[in-house]
Amino acid sequence: MPFAKRIASAAFGAIALLAAAARPAHESPPPLDPTALLRASVDAPKTVSYVGQFETVRFSSSHAVATIVKVEHRSPEETRRWYVAPDALYGDYVIQRGTAVYEFDTKHDKVTVTHNPLLDDQVATADNFDRVLENYRAIDDGPGMIAEHPTDSVELVNKYTGERAIRVWLDAKTHLVLKKEAYHGNGAVASQTLFDDLRYTTSIPEAVFSTALPAGFSEQNGTELSMPSTDMDRTIKDAGFKPYTPKDLPQGFVLTSSAVDTVARPGTGSTSGSGGGVRTLHLLYSDGLRSISLFENSTGASADFGNLHPKTIRFSDHDASYVEEGPTTLITWNEHGLHFAMVGDLLLPELVAIGKSVVP
Amino acid sequence: MNHLTTAQLSDFVHGELSPANDALAHAHLADCGVCRAEYDAEIALGEALRAAAASEELEFPSIVKAVVWERIREMPPSPMARLSAWLRPLVAVPVAAALLVGVWFASPYAPHGAHPTVDAAYYLEAHAAESGDSLLAEPAGATMLETSMEDGSGAVPATLAEAVDAVR
Repeated sequence: MPFAKRIASAAFGAIALLAAAARPAHESPPPLDPTALLRASVDAPKTVSYVGQFETVRFSSSHAVATIVKVEHRSPEETRRWYVAPDALYGDYVIQRGTAVYEFDTKHDKVTVTHNPLLDDQVATADNFDRVLENYRAIDDGPGMIAEHPTDSVELVNKYTGERAIRVWLDAKTHLVLKKEAYHGNGAVASQTLFDDLRYTTSIPEAVFSTALPAGFSEQNGTELSMPSTDMDRTIKDAGFKPYTPKDLPQGFVLTSSAVDTVARPGTGSTSGSGGGVRTLHLLYSDGLRSISLFENSTGASADFGNLHPKTIRFSDHDASYVEEGPTTLITWNEHGLHFAMVGDLLLPELVAIGKSVVP
Repeated sequence: MNHLTTAQLSDFVHGELSPANDALAHAHLADCGVCRAEYDAEIALGEALRAAAASEELEFPSIVKAVVWERIREMPPSPMARLSAWLRPLVAVPVAAALLVGVWFASPYAPHGAHPTVDAAYYLEAHAAESGDSLLAEPAGATMLETSMEDGSGAVPATLAEAVDAVR
């Protein structure tokens, strides 16, 4: 090869190398790993403190309930949520410190204290995340902007049905969830939560998270939930009767935990307690994102709906009562000497189909 | 024998040749490398198509399944099926037992105490608490307060329009 040609060839090669080295600086960044983003979002509240305001709209089949909440969060585990709307909740607030939740009802001057060991259960959280990845495919949905913060969006699609179940918008820097949309099986939006104001800060006064009883307030115990067990045999023994279990669950759902609670009668000041209560078996089924609870008692204790205005539906030759709380449906019925109650983030026909398979 | 045509090869793969032609094709494939390669390609293509179809196969959405089962269960059974259902011991025995229990409770000897009940809010609250580590879960504590909100008539927006007004 002539010398001039060799020089030209070397120069061309050098230019090509320089161009290749310079290209990443001008091109869009490499695609994000949506699974890693989701994992980071689960841990985000443990590492960032913030104040802000978010609104939530929860849709049932024909109604919607909206709330606007101011929130202060100090990492790792102190949060106050203060209701701004609707008027019925205005001024009420909820303080969460670790596994304890304090609900301040300013209309009735009372504080309800609940302890939920699951709120600090890292193992359950990790197991649940693995279950999500088993049943759902995480898809990067591109960048966006929420409350003046750049976001990355991820959606989760059910591997068995192809349905989109949830879409989250995560702060591009902190990975905090700034917007979340969950979807019903038919594609309709089930709920939407959206920050319209958010500021990261570590200067939140200690008094914000005070759980001291305000003057004139009374304190009552809420549901004292025992740590759910994965030992089904032991739970059945505790329940004292042979339970029925659903035979027709949506694909991906598995029994994740079981517990026996002693539920106090209505009007005794709390929804659970000891002595004179109703022993209730609680079986929880989940696919990681959605969950279904099946409650059973053998004492014939039916549900007292209070002012929830239940409707009636007939299936498998018996009447059942149901209410829709936003995207969550509760349906109760008596069968084979047991009282059943089923709660799930599913539409009524889906829940009825599962209910029919409990006692086929 | 000449080389097998594509149609013959395809029919052989699908077992659609007559017994005589099937035997001839089988014998030819044993000796002819060209046709054997064609045969292997045909088999590989079929398997690839089947694998692709299986990987894209989706279950019906649960709402579709629920509606289909609903329709099936709503179909009225024949009179004979209805009669035989009533005569089955599985049904007849509980019916007799229920009648006896009904007679007992209607009699003056039966205890007439208050029937126990469970607050429906417990079911909603326990479900929300124990499914709280789900990515779909609402913040802890919110559900109970929002459930109690329904105690006041008219406190909850009845329609989407009212909900939107509430947000505004």
